[in-house]
Amino acid sequence: MNPDWSRRRFIGSGGTLSGAAWLKLTTPGLVAAAASACDAMESASAFVNLSEAQARELSAISARLIPTTSTPGAIEAGVIHFIDQSLAGEMAAERAAAFQGLSEFLSGLNPEQPNRLFSELDAADQDAYLKDREGTDFFEFMRLMTIYGFFAMSSHGGNRDHLSWTLIGFEGHGAWTPPFGHYDSETEV
Amino acid sequence: MSESNTMPSFKETEPVDFVIIGAGSAGGIMARELSGAGFNIVVLEQGPYRQQHEFSHDELSVAINNELLGGMNDVHGQTFRHYEHEEAQQPAVQPVRYARGVGGSSVHFTANFWRLRPSDFKERSLLGPIEGTNFADWPISYEELEPYYAKVEWEIGVSGAPGPFDAPRSKPFPMPPLPIKSSGVLMEKGAEKLGLHAQVEPLAILSRAHNGRPPCINCGYCMYYGCEVGAKSSTLAAMVPLAEATGRCEIRAESVVIRIETNDQGKADRVVYLDASGTERAQAARSVLLCANGAETSRLLFMSASSRHPDGLANSSGFVGRNLMHNAHSLGYGVFEHPLNDYKGPQVSRIIHDFYESDTARGFYGGGGIDARPLFSATPILHALNAMPPDVARWGSEWKDAISYNFTRQLALVASTTSLPLDRNNITLDPQSKDIWGRPAIRETYHDHPDDLAIAAFLQDVSMQVLDAAGAEKVWRMPVEASTGGEHLLGTCRMGDDPSTSVVDRYHRSHDVPNLFICDGSSMVTSGRGQPTMTIMALAFRAAEHIAAAARRGEV
Repeated sequence: MNPDWSRRRFIGSGGTLSGAAWLKLTTPGLVAAAASACDAMESASAFVNLSEAQARELSAISARLIPTTSTPGAIEAGVIHFIDQSLAGEMAAERAAAFQGLSEFLSGLNPEQPNRLFSELDAADQDAYLKDREGTDFFEFMRLMTIYGFFAMSSHGGNRDHLSWTLIGFEGHGAWTPPFGHYDSETEV
Repeated sequence: MSESNTMPSFKETEPVDFVIIGAGSAGGIMARELSGAGFNIVVLEQGPYRQQHEFSHDELSVAINNELLGGMNDVHGQTFRHYEHEEAQQPAVQPVRYARGVGGSSVHFTANFWRLRPSDFKERSLLGPIEGTNFADWPISYEELEPYYAKVEWEIGVSGAPGPFDAPRSKPFPMPPLPIKSSGVLMEKGAEKLGLHAQVEPLAILSRAHNGRPPCINCGYCMYYGCEVGAKSSTLAAMVPLAEATGRCEIRAESVVIRIETNDQGKADRVVYLDASGTERAQAARSVLLCANGAETSRLLFMSASSRHPDGLANSSGFVGRNLMHNAHSLGYGVFEHPLNDYKGPQVSRIIHDFYESDTARGFYGGGGIDARPLFSATPILHALNAMPPDVARWGSEWKDAISYNFTRQLALVASTTSLPLDRNNITLDPQSKDIWGRPAIRETYHDHPDDLAIAAFLQDVSMQVLDAAGAEKVWRMPVEASTGGEHLLGTCRMGDDPSTSVVDRYHRSHDVPNLFICDGSSMVTSGRGQPTMTIMALAFRAAEHIAAAARRGEV
């Protein structure tokens, strides 16, 4: 069984820029780009689809959505490389809408200072502005992309060293033998 | 398997004994049983022929982009509405969800395998009529189907142990249960305090080597995923290789059927389909077996309308597509002090069936079961998007702290219940929307009967009591509300003795077309309490036996 609200909720919560298309990160395009994404993570430079300025702003947004605290966040996981890579291939059609969304996001920052950058705000101001934008297509797009980039398999460009899985206690792919957790280990003889 | 030397290649113009449409739970069994009985078979499957080593754990691809469902809904164009007076909308994800490919939804199912009970087949007689519904008895009894349930357990492969309320069984389970998980231990603890009975969940997953297949490795990727070791008992793993080994079964994957044609004698004689290149082809057949699931089967019958069958093939009763039943659900969450690590192992290890039977004292019809499982907490992205507590921020450090703590500590109690058969819940052809093959899209119209939602809410109350009694630190519930789609596609071509109120007879032969048989979830007269695949498979074994006997007698 799969409760019907499952997919409805995660799609519904998307509020995406152009409906399903944002979620259509089809595998072939991503896999093709994955190797170069890994390379890019290593070199910490070259973006395939993003300008340095775009990458800096998107990265700053992802860093507030999943912040670096006493534990790693979106920055350490390389979420920006996932975003960069997933705007390749079949996502290319959506790239313009994403950049438009970013542009509007930035222009709403402070009309009196049109060149102000999100990345230049301090964390409290960044959070306040994000809270203000919550529910907009661009915000919800960035939330989804940050979650995907943080938790999806590293071959998609993010989740460096599986650090997000380590963070939540998920050991990833494997063959397991019982006991699996605390409560079944208690009942083991 | 697909490149086996034994795969025959039948001529399209020479009738094969049977064309089977759909290689899923029923179709896979039909293919094996009828090829094993000496008949020549062509199986037309719209999805690809994936081999088990091709299944991946890629959550983005499988759970988000719906790889096994054949992509997002822009491919399929399905539409949904709650009521007939509404205009149906096209959501991002198909409202009617099933895996496309050889093995069908048995490839991606969670593998919970409940038998129906004797009462399920005769509730209308036991409880009386329910106004405004098509509530009816089955034309067959539990006793008639029981040997085939045993056959499923032994031939498909089901692990388990009898529970206190189970229906009588002629054979024991072929293998012991899979390991109990922390969610199962906690369910046992809570149930015991409440005087309820947590019992072993029967699973179509091997706990030890069986019929040449290996046991489960407890990787945890069952729900939505294909099993890369072949321990999950899909028809892809358990039946299709046996069908192909006969040398009499040709599987044509990526074959999208668009029409069943009938001849002047009123018999089905050709199945028209689009091959992988989009070229229209037709396979001649002596008999046709339609096993495409409750939604696709209905669509194809409507698409096969002709001057002889103006309302759709096999639809003189008007019952094709009607009485769609999804099983209703409810969901309660709990977080516990210590890690459960419930992402390891199959989803479910314990269930509560104390409330299976309908009880007039509750004031409404219905019954169901509750299971304990990680649900979305089997993988990180689904947990992040679907399973976070409602009082936690949607992003930022509070969100991060919550997922870091909860992921391994969270469980879900899921209730699965009855659905009543209603005229207004149905599958029809959408008048505008089409899929990428140009077929009219499936349009679903569905709103649960109030009693369906009442039993789901009742079981949610029980679930919350169990979570409390098990010692949960924090609990919350999801709203019980009308479904907007589903995976269980039941009742749309129901079986019955009366041709005016059913589509197929008790042996799955359509009342209107003597050599057209229909067997899948659509055959079910009532919904059971969830987990219908066990019954679909038992029906398929039983139907295959009768169809083979009829064919030998020249009666098809």
